[in-house]
Amino acid sequence: MHELSIALSIIEGVTEELEERGGPKLHAVHLQLGQLSGVVKEALLFAYDVACEGTALAGSRLVILEAEGTALQITGLEIDG
Amino acid sequence: MSEPRLVEIRRNVFKKNDLLARELRQRFTDAGTRVISLVSSPGSGKTALLEKTLTALRGRYRVAALVGDLATDNDAARLARAEVPVRQITTGTICHLEAEMVTNALDDWKLDAIDFLFIENVGNLVCPSSYDLGEALRAVLMSVTEGEDKPRKYPTIFNSADVAVITKIDLAAAVEFDRAAAFASIDAVRAGIPVCEVSARTGEGMDGWLAMVEGSAPVVHASRNDRPSDAAYRER
Repeated sequence: MHELSIALSIIEGVTEELEERGGPKLHAVHLQLGQLSGVVKEALLFAYDVACEGTALAGSRLVILEAEGTALQITGLEIDG
Repeated sequence: MSEPRLVEIRRNVFKKNDLLARELRQRFTDAGTRVISLVSSPGSGKTALLEKTLTALRGRYRVAALVGDLATDNDAARLARAEVPVRQITTGTICHLEAEMVTNALDDWKLDAIDFLFIENVGNLVCPSSYDLGEALRAVLMSVTEGEDKPRKYPTIFNSADVAVITKIDLAAAVEFDRAAAFASIDAVRAGIPVCEVSARTGEGMDGWLAMVEGSAPVVHASRNDRPSDAAYRER
């Protein structure tokens, strides 16, 4: 269940970023996912939806931008305002 | 309601772990503790190698170990036979160790009183690769019994490691281990990484590994071509 751990780390990071911005409604998270990151896209998408329930990220989409290398980086947030 | 807007940020998913690992690394450096982590698939011989390593070093240095598993403290009990301080980290459902778990497990240990600290990760070739534990040296193990192409199958973990260790070489002939193919596989994903070849059972190759651990290793590199052929194993 590696992807669940990753999803929880994403939620933790995004929650912090949202709080810094006064808690706007979140629509989507953009994530750069490296081919060599060891993370499986489909498994992460599944884990994301499950893990987001009950958090500030509930109902948001995870937009995965595939990249080279080992990158695993949050690159953007779609928020209100 | 206004349209959503895109805010561009750059935030590594492992930011929290990386920060904690950086703190750990600083603590280890300040205390003069050299930290070596072991990663491999389950059953590659991490615990056996560690037991021999702890036993070999404990006369000359102050050594200790943290050992991670999903469940049980069997490994800690086994390593306690080396008569050094050992703590088990039980991760529950988590498939790897994280810096925070190491921080918590260290608890009241005085790092000033530890020269070498070993961290045995959960048996897993995928997840541990992303989590820095503040270690000075990360060793990835592959045993002769598990296939020469492990590095090609799991390039990320081999890329994250500082040394590759081929274990159970006493069994090489029995399983027709193709040494040249194994080196080629290591070389394909991580050219130039030092490689140790050991048998925890017979003690063969332990000197080279211990020199690597102590940080004074004259090591064989995977990209070097002048190595003996794999026949060297079969002749034993």
